[in-house]
Amino acid sequence: MEYKNETVSIEGGWPMEHWQWKFESLALIRKTLEALREKKLLGLKCPGCGLVYFMPKPYCRCLSIPDEWVEVKDTGTVTTYTFTGAWAYEGIADEGPAGTPLIIVGIVLDGTDTMTVCTLSDAKPEDVSVGMRIRLQWPENPEGKLEDLAYCVPL
Amino acid sequence: MAKSEVAVAGVGLSKHVSKRRDVNIAELVWEAVSACYENAGLKPKDIDAFITGNMPAFEGVNLPEEWGAGHWGAYGKPLLRITTGGTTGGSVAHGGYYAVASGLYDTVLAIAFEKQSDGNSTAGLNTVAIADAAAQFALGVDPAFLAAFGGGAVGVAVYQASSYMKSSGCTTQHLDKVAALCRNNAALNPYSHLKQPGLTPEEVAKTVLLQHPIRFGHVCPATDGACAMLFTTGEKARRLVDKPAYVLSVASCSDEAAMVGIAGSGTTNVDPCTQESCKIAAARAYELAGIKDPRKEIDLAEPYAPFAHQMLMFYERLLLCDEGEAPAILDSGSMNLDGELPVCPSGGVISTNAIGASAMERVAECAQQIMGRCGERQVKKEVHKAVAHGWGGAVNLNVVAVLSDTPRR
Repeated sequence: MEYKNETVSIEGGWPMEHWQWKFESLALIRKTLEALREKKLLGLKCPGCGLVYFMPKPYCRCLSIPDEWVEVKDTGTVTTYTFTGAWAYEGIADEGPAGTPLIIVGIVLDGTDTMTVCTLSDAKPEDVSVGMRIRLQWPENPEGKLEDLAYCVPL
Repeated sequence: MAKSEVAVAGVGLSKHVSKRRDVNIAELVWEAVSACYENAGLKPKDIDAFITGNMPAFEGVNLPEEWGAGHWGAYGKPLLRITTGGTTGGSVAHGGYYAVASGLYDTVLAIAFEKQSDGNSTAGLNTVAIADAAAQFALGVDPAFLAAFGGGAVGVAVYQASSYMKSSGCTTQHLDKVAALCRNNAALNPYSHLKQPGLTPEEVAKTVLLQHPIRFGHVCPATDGACAMLFTTGEKARRLVDKPAYVLSVASCSDEAAMVGIAGSGTTNVDPCTQESCKIAAARAYELAGIKDPRKEIDLAEPYAPFAHQMLMFYERLLLCDEGEAPAILDSGSMNLDGELPVCPSGGVISTNAIGASAMERVAECAQQIMGRCGERQVKKEVHKAVAHGWGGAVNLNVVAVLSDTPRR
């Protein structure tokens, strides 16, 4: 048999949308998403250690059950950042969403103890820094989807 | 407390390159295993038990320990597989330590490997995130929307690098320096993958920016390779080799996943550079080893650093200096092969990354430096105590081992 010094790729699919488990966390997340329609941010507080989860989580790291809904602010602090697309690959931009130049920031909203990622708009790459203050940028008509939380702006 | 004194009496490594098309998994592992038998002067009949591990799903081949056991001399013997992501090799070494320390076995062969070219590592890595990400897909989130936030190991590493650089004062020039230091060390290591003798920080700085702040030159390659280590009692090790390396302690620590919240389920591990679990594991390992001041007593460190900033970050998290001091220590030359506390003399994970084997190769390098078997890359100072580290899981597991040239008093 002929020896080939190459790797063969085989086309395949990974239909992740079919992963429809009955998550406990989904029921909680849906409640938080529903509140987004009124531009309200609902976090879940742990009675054991007081940590506030946003998005909500069905159990805490201290193994208590967070059960107190609390409203959190739409301001927060940048904990880390990177850039995507043309700003990441030095001009070798992909077509589509991954190629769009964006500033991606990790943020901790005021009154919460969890980090989430968000796109920083109205800013240049040189403006962003760890510790900078931001505010969520609400869409005009929030639809109660995770995408409602996709953008923030410098405070 | 350990019942038996544990020592390393042999280390074997395969050739490490990006694609081993000339051998299959079992044959690749055999290269490391046979080298280990040879330099410990043993035969398969002398081994009481086998512990092995690799990253599940990376090769697209499963249960390799079942069909490979014959190539390792493991027929008719106890066999246990351990896999913990990036830390797999470290956990396998810990398994070897536990098996001997418990007094259950005298002589144990620990084997860790990865043959990445046989499969698709990115697809394998996605299987790590899927359990959490599936919650988002169930909500109807567009996968392309999630993809824009950056994923995979580089995605996690860039967030960690950005926050580490802010808190420590580490600059991109420091990242360039780390890469140059490691690749030059790797050039002296016959078992390393990326050998770049004479590489300068300036040349690293010219490599393409992958994702801010990490350049191509700051990142590990994908490697095919295997590592085997012989763990045995101190008494037997002294009969087998002139200068065994004693394992004083092992410790590991798990923390909440720090996947920067893309999982949507909320993580309170908000800063991927704090790595509290590394500090806890290191403190525990030093205490078990009877080390009071690691800064004075540790002679050599092999932190797990596939990305340049991690060599400095984990140097700090292994409690070898104050937080934020590592960049200046790098500048002082202390981390070089002829420095006061050489770091990554093997060339590190940034030069060679056969995922499942990588964390064990840190332990193996510490052992070989203590045994004085490192040839051209043997550090100048005498190594009495060394610390080996592994990092993995869902960016939240740290494993630490402390080795020494003398058994515990």
